[in-house]
Amino acid sequence: MKGLIENRFGLLALVLLALGALYGVAFVSRPAPAAQKPAQQVKVAVESVSMVCPDPGGGRMTAVTPLGGPSGQGGAATVAEMKGAKPLATLDHVGTLWRQDVPVRTRPVTVAGMGAMAAGLEAAQTTQVTSGAQRGLSGVRCVEPGAEAWFVGPGPAAADVTLHLANSDEAPAYVGIMIYAGEGPVLADRGNGMVVKPGEYREVKLRELAPSPLVMAVQVSTSGGRVAAAIRASLGEGKGVDWLPVSAPPSTRVVVPGLPGSAGQRELYVATPGERDTVVQVKAVLKDGSYALKNKESVEVPAGSTTTIDLTTGVGGQPGALVLTSGEPIVAGMRMTGTGDMRDAAFTAGAVPIDLGSVVADGGPGKKSAKGSGKRESRLVLSAPFTAATVRIQLLPQRGTPAEPVEVTLPAARSKEIKLTPPAGAGSGFAVHIVPVAGSGPVYGARVLSEDTPQGVLLTTQPLAPARTWAIVPATVDSPGAVLP
Amino acid sequence: MHSVTAIVVAHDGARWLKETLEAVLRQSRPLDRVAGVDNGSRDGSGRILTEAFGPSSVLSMSRSTGFGEAVHEVVRRLPRASGQEWLWLLHDDCAPDAHALRALLHAADQNPKAAILGPKLRDWLDRRVLLEIGVTVGRSGRRDTGLEPREYDQGQHDGTHGVLDVLSVSTAGMLIRRDVWEELAGLDPRLPLFRDDLDLCWRARVAGHRVLNVTDAVAWHAEAASRRRRRIAASDDHPRRIDRRNALFVVMANLPFWALVRSVFRNITGSLVRTVLFVLAKQPANALDEIAALGSVLGHPGRLFKARKERKKGRKQGYPAVARLFTPPGATWRRLADMIQRYLAGEGPVDSAGRHHAAAASSEDEGDELLTDSGLFQRMSSSPGVWLCVLLLAVTVAAEWSLFAGGLLGGGALVPVTGGASDLWRLYVENHHSAGLGSDTWAPPYVAVLAALSTIFFGKTWLAVSVLLLGCVPLAGLSAYVATRRMITYTPARVWLAATYALLPVATGVVASGRVGTALVFVLIPVYAALATRVVAGSRRAAWGFGLLLAIGTAFAPLVYVVVAILGGLAAVSFGGIRRGVGVSLAIGLGTPIVLLFPWLAEIVREPRRILLESGLADPSLADPRLGADALLMLNPGGPGTPPVWVTAGLVAVALGALLLRRHQTVVAIGWGVTLFGVLLAVVVSRLAEWPGVPLAFAATGLLVATALTAHRITEFRAAGGPRRAGALLIVIVAFATPLAAAGLWIVGGAGGPLRGDLRDPVPPLSAAWSPNGERTLLMRPEGGRLAYTLLSGRAPFIGESDLRAPAADTARVGTAVAGLASGRGGGDVQILAAYGVQFVTVPGPVDVALQRSLDSEPALVRVSLSETGGLWRVAGTVTVPKPPSGGDGWHRTWLWAQAALVALVLVLASPGARTAEQQEDYGDAPAPARPSRRRPKNPEEQVPA
Repeated sequence: MKGLIENRFGLLALVLLALGALYGVAFVSRPAPAAQKPAQQVKVAVESVSMVCPDPGGGRMTAVTPLGGPSGQGGAATVAEMKGAKPLATLDHVGTLWRQDVPVRTRPVTVAGMGAMAAGLEAAQTTQVTSGAQRGLSGVRCVEPGAEAWFVGPGPAAADVTLHLANSDEAPAYVGIMIYAGEGPVLADRGNGMVVKPGEYREVKLRELAPSPLVMAVQVSTSGGRVAAAIRASLGEGKGVDWLPVSAPPSTRVVVPGLPGSAGQRELYVATPGERDTVVQVKAVLKDGSYALKNKESVEVPAGSTTTIDLTTGVGGQPGALVLTSGEPIVAGMRMTGTGDMRDAAFTAGAVPIDLGSVVADGGPGKKSAKGSGKRESRLVLSAPFTAATVRIQLLPQRGTPAEPVEVTLPAARSKEIKLTPPAGAGSGFAVHIVPVAGSGPVYGARVLSEDTPQGVLLTTQPLAPARTWAIVPATVDSPGAVLP
Repeated sequence: MHSVTAIVVAHDGARWLKETLEAVLRQSRPLDRVAGVDNGSRDGSGRILTEAFGPSSVLSMSRSTGFGEAVHEVVRRLPRASGQEWLWLLHDDCAPDAHALRALLHAADQNPKAAILGPKLRDWLDRRVLLEIGVTVGRSGRRDTGLEPREYDQGQHDGTHGVLDVLSVSTAGMLIRRDVWEELAGLDPRLPLFRDDLDLCWRARVAGHRVLNVTDAVAWHAEAASRRRRRIAASDDHPRRIDRRNALFVVMANLPFWALVRSVFRNITGSLVRTVLFVLAKQPANALDEIAALGSVLGHPGRLFKARKERKKGRKQGYPAVARLFTPPGATWRRLADMIQRYLAGEGPVDSAGRHHAAAASSEDEGDELLTDSGLFQRMSSSPGVWLCVLLLAVTVAAEWSLFAGGLLGGGALVPVTGGASDLWRLYVENHHSAGLGSDTWAPPYVAVLAALSTIFFGKTWLAVSVLLLGCVPLAGLSAYVATRRMITYTPARVWLAATYALLPVATGVVASGRVGTALVFVLIPVYAALATRVVAGSRRAAWGFGLLLAIGTAFAPLVYVVVAILGGLAAVSFGGIRRGVGVSLAIGLGTPIVLLFPWLAEIVREPRRILLESGLADPSLADPRLGADALLMLNPGGPGTPPVWVTAGLVAVALGALLLRRHQTVVAIGWGVTLFGVLLAVVVSRLAEWPGVPLAFAATGLLVATALTAHRITEFRAAGGPRRAGALLIVIVAFATPLAAAGLWIVGGAGGPLRGDLRDPVPPLSAAWSPNGERTLLMRPEGGRLAYTLLSGRAPFIGESDLRAPAADTARVGTAVAGLASGRGGGDVQILAAYGVQFVTVPGPVDVALQRSLDSEPALVRVSLSETGGLWRVAGTVTVPKPPSGGDGWHRTWLWAQAALVALVLVLASPGARTAEQQEDYGDAPAPARPSRRRPKNPEEQVPA
């Protein structure tokens, strides 16, 4: 050893040998590239849900919590008038529809669920007026309060547009309203700084904010607090009335689901709230496939404004959905009318996929409820615009046992219209619970209610919204490094 | 007519006695009588006395007899003579000049009131050096000669008529009238040694006599007893203690009552202050003597009382005459000023001049390399080290330009730096931390180090961290350059070493990933190497310093201790047998960190994985888990901010070349050994998915030192000419390629990485302003599919708070609640968070849409703001922050005090204190020639880095 060290070549050889050994050790022990495991997301039951039905007076209210939620017992849902002393009803049965006619001049109604009754609690209001300026079938999904809501539809110049604002929280809401008309954004001082106190509700005539727009996109946002917002558009006698469904927030790809299979006018509204003009590609997803409409392949939308395009000749009479893509974020909605002398209008809007399922509280009337005279029908229009999907549909009747779920397969880029027949002994109505089977692509859809009357077809649609059954719990990590970008 | 009897008292003084006796017998004014006393000498002093004076004139007394007793004994037996009778007291180590007695008697004739006269005393060895021209005393008992240390006698202090009125003269050469001796009862036998002369003269003054120093008379005095050139038999105590005790005793016995009271207080305070100073000066023996002397005087009040009673007569009346001759009052302050001045000039903090056992400090030649006679600027500008630093600084500024953005510095392992020194100190000493969920764990020790650094930098933590982290490269260069001063004599090699070390991949990686602790360790490693060479040479002071610095490095990166301990163990095996004290020094160096960091280290040992971690945020993305084998061999730790692997190829090539040199084989082998060990450790650390910067820095140090130590051979090659000259040039080019390439790549690529200089305070101003009671802010940031969150108590976190741990149950509950809140499931999550004092929820921008929707959907949260920079939500209703548990942690407090005391002790022992060079082993009779140099002889082992 000593000799080796004292010999310079020996030392060099020794060091090289050691280096080689170290290299070998390091090389052999080098781990294989670790595959990036996606953080596991866990879904948990929603424990608390609250929503506001903006104006149920004179119509019927429905509320339901679907089956298949958490197995836990307990919990209840309360239906109460705002500022009302005692609740209208207390629900504690999962899977059973609550349905009640509400007298006229009822204040907005809050529906709040806790515990087991919260998971998937859904409520809706449907009103039917058979004559007069408000003649028509109109319905809206009761909205949960939020910080932002988008609506797209006819403007105050074309219809009587009323914004319903309600604050069911305990903090005041500071509401701002922004209107994007056909000519660009409408700057109105009165739309800003509106304070809705806790427990307060109010109706705002959009004509007072912006009298001139024929078409519009409305952004209701709060700078503090939350507000439940809904818009009702009344197009005038013989032209129809309905609520505007809440539209998906601006995005570069928007799916407008729920085009009914009945005949009638179809008018698409597209708005871009951004600061750049954009061209929107329109594609229809129908029963037999997905394609661009002839001569209506694209729509140009100037920055900050709303544009319409009549698609009656393209998609009229065919159930389906529209897929809009653009370079800038857009919001979109559609006006559909029924046929007959006195038309009724219905609205749909851009929607988000129902990844974990969707519940429609007002699935349709039961056989017994023959209040009107005409034939009443309820349909589901489901679309799988991108990849194939399978959904399981379950009807939840007012009385009796829930029906067995039915599986429906949607091929990629196809739509399907499913007629909902009330199960036997369902009482006066039923709710629908739609769950995509695991592995399905994004599913969009809407429920379409129609009633044939001698004057014409009454129509209302409700785009499917994700059910508040499950919440995705992100993987969390307590990391002091979160303070660093 | 005078009759003079010379009395020579000898005690183990054969070395000087012969000369003394010759001088006595050769007086130009012959002596009338001579008498000798031998106090039990064992070296033949008695024989010499007998030879000189004849057996009848020599008394033999016991070994423990004091000087005063001996004189008393002679005087008792001395028959009276006619005329004015004088006693001339002489020590065995005091040789009077041939004309001394004549001069003294002449002065006595001129001044009839003079009863005691003394000669001017000069040094025995250096015969021109003035020792005494009379002595006075301060009220604190401090002996004062009124001379500068080592003052040459040029007659500058001589009196106008050859005499000086003084308070006292030494018994060495003291000429005293016999009647006065008898009147005053002579020297006090209670003072066998030291200050007996002062006491006698004081009493003479009080009795109305004059005490004169006759500057025309000269005697040479060896001060053998006080300088400890001979063993003292009259007392077992240390001469310093006897001196101090007698000084106090004499002053207290002779002062009138009120002056005595003042003196007692003054002496108690003075003694305590002096004790502290002695401890600071690392003279524990002196400190002990000081306090023991005071205790001895105050502890025997009976003795003092008796002495005072004896001196009662005329004490008060005579006091003004004595007080006039005391050291003037301002002298104390002047001395203090002198002392500070001298301390700053590098001498001991406590001056010893003026004391009996004064010993001049030997001049040290350490660390004076840069000092020349030229001016400061010239010195600076001609030093390659300064130029190197300036160059490295320029490179650093060019590379780190983007980091000076004006925001907070942070990123990687570094939280955005906020707060000041006081915040860090509070964090370190407080029992309960309010940060995060609240924690009772003790703050890690590196917080104290950073707090101390921040204090130095005017209390600004950001400044300390910026200097340390951003200045890591120039600081490392400077430290490497200075630390190798003793190891490597060839300056270009040192410059190359320092530049290469400073620009190692480890250094740029440290900066880019914001590892403050490792930056400090990186700067310290060359210092470790330099100190280690002195530790293995057995230096105790270096060992203490090494231990302290090692503790600091270990506090930041525990791996440092592991590396050093293993290398130290190997060094102990190699050098333990060669030099005495190496084992102890090594034990001090390696034991100090364990003692100073004990509770924290115990925690670390319980979780061995933490040994590999460094201070700051543990972010796995800062290390490359698949670091290539080639990178490890090229000393490249991987991770952000590291250059390509080939950059260090030049260094490794040159180091391999150094193996081929014929001489210096051992040095190169040891250097390579350190390197291989470091690389091996780096492989292990890297495979455990941690950053191997620290072991690679050690590896590089070994390689660099081994190479630089052999670098002077380049000059030989160059001188050889021909192909060798070309080879030398090639080696130089290859060697310098590494630092140049590293610097170039660093500048081009920029120093940033995860580290950024433009961070904002993570706590939004609104929530900071609305958290008066430390309400917490929940910060959520989705990253990589996960949601990272942290709780902030109304302010940004401080460095070190990330290492605190909250109770596991609380952490789990809050984690679940945060997940639930982020999911938007509703329910009681906000209430759970509010119970922990969470008032705000903030999400830094750009805010994730899903998260924003979840938070917006939560009824218990009210959105305060939402913008590009982030969103802020407030919990509706009032939130009360949970109260910290009352009651302190007694152990923590005790430990903090103990730690502070230990650090102070180690600092005292490590700092270059007084270099008094007391000759502990120089009791003997052998002549004391030149003082042994403290500089150890150079030999090859000492130059080995270990």
